[in-house]
Amino acid sequence: MLEGGEGRIAVRGVTRRFGEKLALAPLDLEVGPGGVTGLLGPNGSGKTTFLRILIGLTRPDAGEVSVDGAALRGDGLEIRERCSYSPGEIAMYGELKGAEHLDWLLRGRDAQARARARDYAKRFELPLERRVHAYSHGMKRQLLFSAALAPQVRVRILDEPSEGLDPTKRGVLIEMLREDAARGTTILLSSHHLGEVDRACERFVFIHAGKVIASESAESVAARARRVLRVSFAPRAGLGEALQRAAAQLEPHARSVSTRESELVIELRGDDPRPALAEFAKLAALGAPRAIEFGRASLQELYRDLYGVEAC
Amino acid sequence: MSRALSSALWRGVGFFIVLELMLVPALLYWPDFEKHIGKFRAMAPLPVMRNIIDTLETGGVFAYVTGQHFFKGCNTLGVAAAVLLSVGAVAGEAQRGTLEIWLARPVSRARLLTERYVQGALALCLPVFATTLTIPPILQQVGQHLDYGPLMWSALHTNLLLLAIYSVGFFCSTLSRSPLSIAFALLFFTILQFAIYLVEKATQWSLFRLTDVERFLEIQGRGGLDPKLALPMLGVSLALYGASLHAFARRTP
Repeated sequence: MLEGGEGRIAVRGVTRRFGEKLALAPLDLEVGPGGVTGLLGPNGSGKTTFLRILIGLTRPDAGEVSVDGAALRGDGLEIRERCSYSPGEIAMYGELKGAEHLDWLLRGRDAQARARARDYAKRFELPLERRVHAYSHGMKRQLLFSAALAPQVRVRILDEPSEGLDPTKRGVLIEMLREDAARGTTILLSSHHLGEVDRACERFVFIHAGKVIASESAESVAARARRVLRVSFAPRAGLGEALQRAAAQLEPHARSVSTRESELVIELRGDDPRPALAEFAKLAALGAPRAIEFGRASLQELYRDLYGVEAC
Repeated sequence: MSRALSSALWRGVGFFIVLELMLVPALLYWPDFEKHIGKFRAMAPLPVMRNIIDTLETGGVFAYVTGQHFFKGCNTLGVAAAVLLSVGAVAGEAQRGTLEIWLARPVSRARLLTERYVQGALALCLPVFATTLTIPPILQQVGQHLDYGPLMWSALHTNLLLLAIYSVGFFCSTLSRSPLSIAFALLFFTILQFAIYLVEKATQWSLFRLTDVERFLEIQGRGGLDPKLALPMLGVSLALYGASLHAFARRTP
């Protein structure tokens, strides 16, 4: 039996296959209690399938799930009563007015949830008296987010909540997320774009091809980003083999070394790049580098460099 | 009022109005029909249709009323309503992409599906009962009298067949993403059943033998439903409702 507790999301050995395609390899994860965790990965990496499994929308082929102490059983009603969810796909009932749609979304929630949802919608300046078919994509996203933030629950699961929002609205959303997390709520949100969520998250879980390939605190990720040394060369014949040999030689002096096209990417063990650069200077076969970058890797670059995953 | 309930209510009101608009002139035409029944028999192109007219003549005003309202009105408009009310129940949500938000709320799937099934079933069946209730007062306008009892039993019998057809559409809807495909398939099937009904050698294989004038005359004679017909129709509906629950529990958005 999976050990879960209040405000925690615990997953062990979850798999899901759609026909021939393995959407989720055996996946283990623990989130919370409390804090904002970003579930990150490229399109098609299994994020949405995973989130849907958490709330019982999709049945796993195997594995155990627990959310806020409730195990996934049957159609997942017990879990849905204990968490709120905002879907990634934007499809709504256009014939309803914004306020009516909020009420519809909040069926089965606590009595004050509707009033709170209206307050959140007002912060987004949503015209709740207008019919939803007149809403833009971003406005629909804000309406769904307002409804997901309103119930008094310990866990919120948000699929791509900032997708399609302009920078101003994204700022409002991040502010609301921080306020909610400050009340002790556990928030798991997904995104395929790190830049959209890195300001809100305290922890990142990186998922690729249905597997968790990294799970780190935001501080640790930022520290790793600061220790990445990237050396690039002008493309030429035989460069690939030379980079592979150089990587093997530098391996003992770094936490990890990888090559990408005409680049050598070195994650240092410490903050001082000089020992690695001294070793690098001995590698005459590589010739003069075109550029050396240190300590400036963005999160996207970090994941691309360390895990070879591009679309993030 | 919920979105789905409101939608079912308006559809039910629409079905009632159309049924009533067909019923009123048909009932008021009874004296002329009775007077010219011989001419109608002579005009009938098929033996099956001549048999229907013979049955109407021997059965009198009750046979004429049930033929007009249940056999003609409910078997055509009712079947169309059963199909239209059922096929969008789940497949419509999937096609619109709203299945995910519908299922994501803290409400059990069994409850969601049952609510939708009942709303559609009421929108289908209540108008048949309601229009049937208007028959005796309309018939009084042409000097005829019919008791409510046999009429309401006949309405219940008709509703059992309509409910079975509705349940077929509902079950298909829980499996599909395309309400239009289900609607076309079901309407093709029912039109085929009407065509079979009109073929003398094959008429006994038609579904609509279950709700033709002879069946309603039997109901009038018995003073109630025939369990050998009613129970299987009810059983089909219940079985398909159960199968729908089973399929819906495993449905992925």
